[in-house]
Amino acid sequence: MRAIEPVSLSCPSRASEGASQVKVDKTLAASIALHVLVIGWGLVSFSARSLEAPQPEAMPVDIISADQVAKVTAGIRTGEKDKPKPLVEKIAEAQPVDDAVGKITKKEAIVTNAAPDQTPPVEKPVEKKPEPPKPAAKDEPKPIEKKPDPPKVDPIAEALKSEEAKKPTPKPQAKAAPPQPPKPKPERTFDQSKIAALLDKRDPTRQSITGAALNPTASLGTHSGTADAMVSTWKGAFVAAVRRCFSFPYNGQDSDQFEVDIDIQLRRDGTVAAQPVIVAVRGPSKSVADAMAESAKRAVEQCQAYAFLPKEQYDTWKYIPMTFGLKDML
Amino acid sequence: MSRAGSVTRRRFLIAGGSTLAALGLRPALAQRLQINPTEFQPLPIAIPNFVAGSPADGEVGVGVAQVITNNLQRSGLFAPIDQAAFIEKITNIDTAPQFQSWKAINAQALVTGRMTRQSDGRLKAEFRLWDVTSGQQLTGQQYFTSPEYWRRIAHIISDQIYERLTGEKGYFDSRVVFVDESGAKERRIKRLALMDQDGANVRYLTKGSDLVLTPRFSPSTQEITYMEFGQGDPRVYLFNIETGAREIVGNFPGMSFSPRFSPDGQRVIMSLQQGGNSNLFVMDLRSKSTTRLTDTPAIDTSPSYAPDGSRICFESDRGGKPQIYVMPASGGPAQRISFSKDDTNGSYSTPVWSPRGDYIAFTKQGGGQFSIGIMKPDGSGERILTSGFHNEGPTFAPNGRVVMFFRDPGGNGGPSLFTVDISGRNEQKVPTPGFASDPAWSPLLS
Repeated sequence: MRAIEPVSLSCPSRASEGASQVKVDKTLAASIALHVLVIGWGLVSFSARSLEAPQPEAMPVDIISADQVAKVTAGIRTGEKDKPKPLVEKIAEAQPVDDAVGKITKKEAIVTNAAPDQTPPVEKPVEKKPEPPKPAAKDEPKPIEKKPDPPKVDPIAEALKSEEAKKPTPKPQAKAAPPQPPKPKPERTFDQSKIAALLDKRDPTRQSITGAALNPTASLGTHSGTADAMVSTWKGAFVAAVRRCFSFPYNGQDSDQFEVDIDIQLRRDGTVAAQPVIVAVRGPSKSVADAMAESAKRAVEQCQAYAFLPKEQYDTWKYIPMTFGLKDML
Repeated sequence: MSRAGSVTRRRFLIAGGSTLAALGLRPALAQRLQINPTEFQPLPIAIPNFVAGSPADGEVGVGVAQVITNNLQRSGLFAPIDQAAFIEKITNIDTAPQFQSWKAINAQALVTGRMTRQSDGRLKAEFRLWDVTSGQQLTGQQYFTSPEYWRRIAHIISDQIYERLTGEKGYFDSRVVFVDESGAKERRIKRLALMDQDGANVRYLTKGSDLVLTPRFSPSTQEITYMEFGQGDPRVYLFNIETGAREIVGNFPGMSFSPRFSPDGQRVIMSLQQGGNSNLFVMDLRSKSTTRLTDTPAIDTSPSYAPDGSRICFESDRGGKPQIYVMPASGGPAQRISFSKDDTNGSYSTPVWSPRGDYIAFTKQGGGQFSIGIMKPDGSGERILTSGFHNEGPTFAPNGRVVMFFRDPGGNGGPSLFTVDISGRNEQKVPTPGFASDPAWSPLLS
């Protein structure tokens, strides 16, 4: 008789589970809420304002090769020698050289506190002690017969003794230092009423640049560099272009004395507007200088058009006076 | 209308510009733009074959163009353009060439010419030198000659081109006399030989039975003076190129050597041996009178006149080592001009005065090397042009811009002739049939 009653299993465990779930949910909710709060607070309080990177201005960059840099920074072999005057704002006062030592006339032995008596033993024992063996050696035959001293003169023992003699030396030196007790410095007291006394009464530390002669302008470097010939300026490009076509056949000496002045006029498109004008020729030989002037004219005409010249700067190059020379040759 | 307007405007601008220039007020760029080339560039020149005036003249037209090309190339100052690059074929030299097609191959100058055999058998040579960039004719000439002298015509045209483009006299129409050496090293046969400066047309003047040394041209280029080891002592001889006649210069008791003509060709200056020493003497070729110029217990030799005939440079060991001295042409106090900076033991010899008067070329010995160099007549501006085991005997081209000398590489070889320009930049071997030494450059033939 088993009461087989269908018991509706109403999932009590579930019920209990449900009860327990509710409990867990509460703590979880609290935890979540707390977390949310904390994180939220954190988000609000820690979030930095996004850095607004300002849009960088586009910067034109010319890429030049290493040899161009070398060319720009290289000096001109025959360039004028610069002697840039240094900037001088103030005439220097003759300042006696501070001679801390003064002239040494009498050289005195340096006296130290560190037990001077003990220093001699450092070397003396080493030198003197070997002496005893000398008489011993001289009188060798005698001591051997008469006294038992010779056996005492043992080289090893001597060596040991001398070693011992050496050892003590460092000690006195080490001791010598400590005896000087550092004087207790008086404690520094700050007296507000004496602030003025602490102030530096010298002139402002920004010192004037002094020198022998006043020179109000700063040296701006040398003017013999070849930066001018850099291809980024139209002059440099133009010089390079004309130079390429300038082939004057000359193999004589004194080439540095030949010079030809030529004026040219250019059109806006970079072509030569009129026959180049020979303004002047210089050199030891008129016929050579004249031939050189013709060669220069040919170079200018052969290498046109100079289309690379900047149109917006036409005013600066519509008329170009030039001087051709041979001084850099050879 | 607008064109006229632009012309007037341009004129106005030019006028304005020149007015400003006159006032010293340049509108822009007060400073002149400096154009200083750092590297020497030879001038590119186009030399097409000369046009044949008649069908038979084609060969000589090609030959003339080749000789000119070779001359200009060897000078080192010109860069003849390869004919294969030419765009235009020149068929008529009486019309202007198409300059654009010569500009396109970067020619700066163009030579056109024509060779025509005349009905009388002579050869007519015409040439024009054009400036390719401006399209202008720079020079134009015509010559008549015997057909066998076509090479000389080519040399003369080369000189014209050289002179017009460099502003200096040329040197191509000239000859070189030298000592041709043949046979085994121990038994060298030395013959006097003559050739064009480019090595063509070699002629032998002596048979080689006697040893010959130091040939020198007279200013007329018709005579040569040289030293020959005959049966007795070496003697100075005169040799007429045209006739082949030979005569001894003076009859002196001892050796006479290192002769050279005076610039007027009327005298020969030379060394005469006196015991262990030698002194300089000058002999008038007409009166045969001899004048002593130096009297020292030393070896004075290798005299050479300045082109104006006022002074003489020579070599002397009066100071211990051979050095170069300069003294008045009539004798008198001599001043030493050679002082070796780098090698105090250096010695200088074989001085020769440039036909321009601006330099003295020499052989310098020191540090186990023989060098050829030049210095100014006051001894300054010394410049070594070439150095090596053995370089000797410089001689100037007629324009003083090129020096010829001989070089012996040592060993079993023999000497050869070389040229170098006085910048030292352009050294060229001179073609000779065999070994060659002791060159002497003639003056210009024309």
